[in-house]
Amino acid sequence: MEPVPYSLYLHIPFCHHRCAYCDFNTYAGMENLITAYCAALIREISQVAGSAVDKLPVHTIFFGGGTPSLLPLIWVEQILETINHCYSLVPETEITLEANPGTVDGDYLRGLHNLGINRLSLGVQSANPDELRLLEREHDYFAVIEAVHLARNAGFDNLNLDLIFGLPYQELDTWEKSVNLTLDLSPDHFSLYALTLESGTPMKHWTDRGLLPEPDADLAAEMYEWAAERLDQAGYQQYEISNWARRTTDNVYRACRHNLQYWRALPYLGFGAGAHGFAAGVRTANILSPRAYIQRMEKSAHRQFPRSSATANLIEVDQQAEMGELMMMGLRLTNDGVSANQFKTHFGESLSDVYGKEIEQLVRQKLLEWVPFEDGLHLRLTPYARLLGNQVFAAFI
Amino acid sequence: MTDLIRNFCIIAHIDHGKSTLADRLLQLTGTISEREMTEQVLDSMDLEREKGVTIKASAVRMNYRARNGQVYELNLIDTPGHVDFGYEVSRALEACEGAILVVDASQGVEAQTLANLYLALEADLEIIPVINKIDLPSAHPDEVAEELENLLGIPGEEILRISAKAGLNVEEVLEAVVQRVPPPRGRDDLPLKALIFDSHYDPYKGVVAYIRVMDGKLSASDTLRMMITRATIKPIEVGIFAPDLRPTSELHAGEVGYVATGFKTVRECRVGDTITLATNPAAEPLPGYRKVKPMVFAGIYPVEGEDYEDLRDALEKLQLNDASLIYEPETSQALNFGFRCGFLGMFHMEIIQERLEREYDLDIIVTAPSVEYEVKLKTGETILIDSPAELPEEGEIEEIREPWMYIQIFSPTEYYGTIMDLVTKRRGIFASQEYPAPNRVQLNFEIPLSELIVDFFDQLKSRTRGYASLDYQFAEYRPDDLVKLQILVNAEPVDALASIVHRDAAYHIGQTLISKLKDIIPRQLFAVPIQASAGGRVISRANVKALRKDVLAKCYGGDITRKKKLLEKQKRGKKRMKMVGNVEIPQEAFMAVLRLRED
Repeated sequence: MEPVPYSLYLHIPFCHHRCAYCDFNTYAGMENLITAYCAALIREISQVAGSAVDKLPVHTIFFGGGTPSLLPLIWVEQILETINHCYSLVPETEITLEANPGTVDGDYLRGLHNLGINRLSLGVQSANPDELRLLEREHDYFAVIEAVHLARNAGFDNLNLDLIFGLPYQELDTWEKSVNLTLDLSPDHFSLYALTLESGTPMKHWTDRGLLPEPDADLAAEMYEWAAERLDQAGYQQYEISNWARRTTDNVYRACRHNLQYWRALPYLGFGAGAHGFAAGVRTANILSPRAYIQRMEKSAHRQFPRSSATANLIEVDQQAEMGELMMMGLRLTNDGVSANQFKTHFGESLSDVYGKEIEQLVRQKLLEWVPFEDGLHLRLTPYARLLGNQVFAAFI
Repeated sequence: MTDLIRNFCIIAHIDHGKSTLADRLLQLTGTISEREMTEQVLDSMDLEREKGVTIKASAVRMNYRARNGQVYELNLIDTPGHVDFGYEVSRALEACEGAILVVDASQGVEAQTLANLYLALEADLEIIPVINKIDLPSAHPDEVAEELENLLGIPGEEILRISAKAGLNVEEVLEAVVQRVPPPRGRDDLPLKALIFDSHYDPYKGVVAYIRVMDGKLSASDTLRMMITRATIKPIEVGIFAPDLRPTSELHAGEVGYVATGFKTVRECRVGDTITLATNPAAEPLPGYRKVKPMVFAGIYPVEGEDYEDLRDALEKLQLNDASLIYEPETSQALNFGFRCGFLGMFHMEIIQERLEREYDLDIIVTAPSVEYEVKLKTGETILIDSPAELPEEGEIEEIREPWMYIQIFSPTEYYGTIMDLVTKRRGIFASQEYPAPNRVQLNFEIPLSELIVDFFDQLKSRTRGYASLDYQFAEYRPDDLVKLQILVNAEPVDALASIVHRDAAYHIGQTLISKLKDIIPRQLFAVPIQASAGGRVISRANVKALRKDVLAKCYGGDITRKKKLLEKQKRGKKRMKMVGNVEIPQEAFMAVLRLRED
């Protein structure tokens, strides 16, 4: 049997400015560390590869952030060369880089494409200037139009746009306008995220102090339902709670293979400050601070796979936990859900033996449904339950 | 023999320095060494120390060499410091001949100062007024002395001015006790009469009764009889408080001490009962015995069903030391199995609740407190109910009577208006007013107890910035136009949310409660109607809308652990809710009834 190909996540924690809603592991004003950080990243990539038994097959690479488009091309090149050297990339490996409109120009995008980056993800968030200001994004919508244009010209035929909905003050009509304007740009993939007020973010602080109205969950639900219908009409098929993709002219479905790896509970390695990995039965998390990360990676003793010198947290996942996680992640896939046969093959126990009671109740509550596929029955969220996922997932935890 | 004995207590308003003064007296007489000294020696419970108020009576014997050269046996009896325990206080006072009345030099006379003073005067005690905390910058001892002079008719110069904290003039207090408090008058050769003024439970000695020997004498070899409960015992030991239990061969008339009875429950050994000898019994028990009667009732339920046994054990243990706590099993359709408990008052209830949570580490739900109603049925029969759930159908009821109280509120005159407003809003009736001191007013009212037990004291304190104080006594049962206010969640009545209210207030209370519940009850997968009904009519309704969105948008960079933690947290929150029908109701909802009047 072919070994399961891995996915690699590379975290680039630098930003010009932290957006008001963001609680990711990102830092503004640390760009002077980029060189040392990339050198550390390269060490970690080879350290982990060195501890694996064989040269690992890899089929997706994802530069996430932060703002990966702040990386000079030379470092993107060196990182990719290292990966190419240490891992065995399958043909047509998906290589994504997240970019902020306004941080990219034609030369840079052409450079990325020439280096092998074949998927670009742009953080658009909104087409409305007031909403962009509230989010403290640094671009305007003209920069988005230009970035998309430049990316297409540079040769990117796999383009994702991120949008956020459920913002304070946001109305259905401003949301509709954002969706319609971005549809005009004809991306291959959409990610629509409902705003979550995370503790520690300026936006949470503002709402707590009453300076900003709490987002209206019912309105957010309406926005979601409207957008789902609109994207469907426009030829995009939903495959995950927040993700839609369309088919190319030669019938390639543009779902993000990297993210599918997470949702299918398949192995991935996380490199960089605060990056997470899941391989060989353990979940790893790296140290958060970029400075500490750089320091840790200066020492490069042998570590047991998939640990690196930067691993700060390690959780062993037993079968029980892995089954729960597979349900929690797999049921996010709105079309495929969880395949009963695959579950049985993977764990040696059947879905209904392990979760019979829970599933029965959730089906009765019309939150889950059984759907026939080629490989047998799949369990998935009903369309009604797509916005109530937590009510379902919690049953399996 | 009794010439060298002095039995006394200290009475004071909360925080006027009673415990500190007691500590100083123990130190001065060498009863407790500097090494053993902790603060508030007599308040052994953590709760007592924290709340600065004595909950259980205790006693201590001190030996004091007075300036006249004689050594005196001084028995200090520490009385509970809250009106909820009025009966216990009155029994403890019966055991004394004198009382030190402590008044804070900044605060002056307050409601409980007066309430306790009246009790002491009723018990015919010699009063020694003491002004405490004279070292504080805010002290105005001259004015306070004038207040006391007016109140007691004692010349100002005889009023001691001390600072218990700084140890100033404390010895004068001991001298005053010796000189002014009369020695006890009992006679050893009369049949034994010993007053039980409190008790505690000891796992080895059983119930330990705190006694004052009025007449006669007793020893551990005597067979003793409780005159009210008619129980007979051979005591395990008799002794004195030194301050720990120290066995002695005999206790004589006039002395304070203890009898270790070996009883396994306090039911056989009641406060106020008289101990006599089985062989040569007294003709009559001492006067003043009263069976304790709980005034406030509430359900106590474990949050987790499996804690039911633990809760029962804990209540049983608490009752060993607290005969005034009563409980019996109760079932609620919303909260399952628990206990209906009776308390002396709100403070008592709060103490029990905190002790269950802290000393026994139990997660409990306490339902809204209720009073005991007399319900006259159309059949002519009268029943007593202490829970709204027990109220019969309206058609069967002829009349509902509820307990009314006399209350005295003591306050600076500037809060007159706001106090009037508070009391009249709660159906209180003004009776009279007095001006016992300049700028001080005592307002006397009658008010239904049900209006007192929900948040009244907190409201009073907040309206008067903490200055007003309150005392109350039971008056009588009176009929009024009362109705059961029912709450229906998803068309099912929730017994634990029902209350008995005045018909005129039902509409307002129902509406407030519904709008609170609407915010507290989390959205479910389906819309949940909630209604308030009174007298068979729905008087308020609202809908908890169906949950539409509950999902995390993003799983960032493969960080599954965090997502899982969020779901686990959500699940734990769900587990702490009570299922009523198919609706999840958080505990908070059951407390909402308590906090209705805040708005």
